[in-house]
Amino acid sequence: MVDWGIPIGAGIAFGLGAIGTGLAQSKIGSAGAGTVAERPETFGLMVVLVAIPETMVILGFVVAAMLMIMLK
Amino acid sequence: MVVRVEYDYVNARIKGMKSCLLNTSVFETLILKPDVESIITEMGNTAYKDEIEKASVQYSGIRCIEVALRKDFTNAFRKILGYTKGDTAEKYLKILLSRWDVQNIKTVLRGKNIHVTSAEILECLVPAGELDDMTLTEMINQPDVKAVIDLLATWGIEYSKPLTRHVKEYVEKRDLAVLEYAIDRFYYENALHAVQGDSYDDSLIKDMVSTEIDVTNIKTVLKMIRDKIETEEAQMFLIEGGRSLGSEKLVAMIRTGTLEGAIKHLETTPYHFLSKLAGEGKVGMISVYEKELEKYLIKRGISRFFGDPLSIAIAIGYIWAKYNEITNIRIIARCKTADIPEKELRGELVYV
Repeated sequence: MVDWGIPIGAGIAFGLGAIGTGLAQSKIGSAGAGTVAERPETFGLMVVLVAIPETMVILGFVVAAMLMIMLK
Repeated sequence: MVVRVEYDYVNARIKGMKSCLLNTSVFETLILKPDVESIITEMGNTAYKDEIEKASVQYSGIRCIEVALRKDFTNAFRKILGYTKGDTAEKYLKILLSRWDVQNIKTVLRGKNIHVTSAEILECLVPAGELDDMTLTEMINQPDVKAVIDLLATWGIEYSKPLTRHVKEYVEKRDLAVLEYAIDRFYYENALHAVQGDSYDDSLIKDMVSTEIDVTNIKTVLKMIRDKIETEEAQMFLIEGGRSLGSEKLVAMIRTGTLEGAIKHLETTPYHFLSKLAGEGKVGMISVYEKELEKYLIKRGISRFFGDPLSIAIAIGYIWAKYNEITNIRIIARCKTADIPEKELRGELVYV
């Protein structure tokens, strides 16, 4: 019988991380666009700030990969 | 359709605009400048560059600064209103900016009442609210107070309602306070009525409006005592809805009959700082109390900048910070024109 527990767990780890990243990036991106519109010199800093929440989805991906590989 | 406001974008832009406000070192430089012309040159290196350049084509001296400041002030608020068009924040901003509509109408009425020239009235106006330059210019061009009110009524401007109701009383008494009180009351009642919800934004606006009511009431009480107006008559000029001062407290202040006595009543309220002025021997100078109250209002407004970053707090903080900046530049420019010494000029500044 197929064990669905591991892929579902990996999916949750990756999916929730992705949702969290999306929510954070939407807010930071919106505020960043406002800031760059007023002060174009902050563009580089804003790109870095928008990218920071990516760490959540990367961690989610790592956990999902570990689940899939190590618990096979 | 009214949609929920996305404060993240709007407030980021407002914060960006706030970062362009002049800092203390620029103000120090302006204060140390010898004359108005050098102030204009210095302002050409700040965020006022564009407006100063445009104004300097037509005007020079203090007039150039006044025109540039007025234009910049109006542009800043129109810009913020543009970001919030169609959402709930627009309602809050309109309440805050209507303050300047009321102030402008009162300025025009005062000017017409004492027959000041149109140019002089125009210098004192700040078209930051819904009444634009065109409307204000047309109001200024009217021959007298009654004609100004008639014009407002013809154009269906809401402030004409309280003025029309009290115009007969004004004609009988020839007392402009009747009209000023009517329009103040109309504005504050409407503003408080519009923010009756329990949301954080509603409470912030309510707090600012009710603080303004307190400040207006204190100023009214002090003037009534100075002019020795009877308590019953003075009571009619008090506005309901203050933050810390109810009508009973205000009536008790009027009943004391002296400025010292009235100020003493404020010791247990947030306006206790006024009693310190009395200790400094400044009793009897209502303008000193008015200035301190204005300072308090500005500081309170600016402090909102530290509120929830995803609320109307940021806009409130910016509006007051900008108002403070414009007021201070105006004071510096006027003091330089009148050749007032640096020490006195620093004393005149509202808050830096």
